[in-house]
Amino acid sequence: MSRCLSEDALARVLAELATDGERAHLASCAACARRSRRLRHDLTTITGVLRDTPEPRPRATAFRRRWLPAAVGLSAVALALLLWVEVAVWRAVTPVPPTMQPQDVAAILADVSASLFSLTGSPATAATTSPAPADPDDTPITLEAMAQELDRTLTGGEP
Amino acid sequence: MEPSRSPDSLVDAHYGRLRRLCRLLLGDLEEAEDVVQDVFLKAHEAARFGQPPMDWGAWLTRVAVNACHDRRRAGGWMRFRFWSTPVEDTPLAAEMLGPVDAAVGAETRRRIWEAFRALPRRQQEVFALRYVEEQSTPEVAAALGLTAGSVKRHLYRAIRQLRRSLGDRT
Repeated sequence: MSRCLSEDALARVLAELATDGERAHLASCAACARRSRRLRHDLTTITGVLRDTPEPRPRATAFRRRWLPAAVGLSAVALALLLWVEVAVWRAVTPVPPTMQPQDVAAILADVSASLFSLTGSPATAATTSPAPADPDDTPITLEAMAQELDRTLTGGEP
Repeated sequence: MEPSRSPDSLVDAHYGRLRRLCRLLLGDLEEAEDVVQDVFLKAHEAARFGQPPMDWGAWLTRVAVNACHDRRRAGGWMRFRFWSTPVEDTPLAAEMLGPVDAAVGAETRRRIWEAFRALPRRQQEVFALRYVEEQSTPEVAAALGLTAGSVKRHLYRAIRQLRRSLGDRT
């Protein structure tokens, strides 16, 4: 007795590709004939579904749910890329203003200091040059002299 | 066989069959109806200006299958349309509960449709014409421009894949 036909062999019978031996076995084997009938019944079911039922469409919400994390991730990556472009590339092409050198800072501070603390009202002279006074009136007045002058004024010239 | 048929009689005889075939190949009813209208327009032009075919049935089938090819090749839009279709627009099973719906569960129907869509295009066409349209192997071969042997091989592969979609339910 020959072996029973496989599922593929039964499909070959339906597709008219079976050999004479396979067809002969099918005609003589009750079990294979039963399986072949079942396969025909399945094909009838498949045909009926394809002919008479609407094709189910993919569920839009399921699709959105599946792609939402990916969309969020892509947005984050895009944002990071944008920031990187801003920081790295934009900065590289934008001219940076020249920074101040230490000696410049010192010069400015000297000017400010001279303006604040000069008694002659001539900051440039005080800051840059300190020549010897040629006129006694130009001599800087001391605190002690200021006190004596104040006494004289208050006592009417009497020591 | 029927070269002198009027356009109206052609529509009456073949419209339903072609609409069903195109819906099966395209997966979209509106698109299928557009294609079938184009097919009948070509049939009208062929009858009026050209040589009317000897067998209108085979001619219409061949033109419809080729038109479906062109539509499928042209359209990535259809996938977008499916994706963007709201769930509320999908038909409820209860609205169209026919004999097949009653006998076969929703999950089985879904698996069958998925298996059919997973088949290569040529296998879908061969199976649709041979089993759904119940044409003979020589008719399918003539409609698709294939040899009979090629039709049988495509059919064998399609049967094997579709049978697996049902699993061991029997």
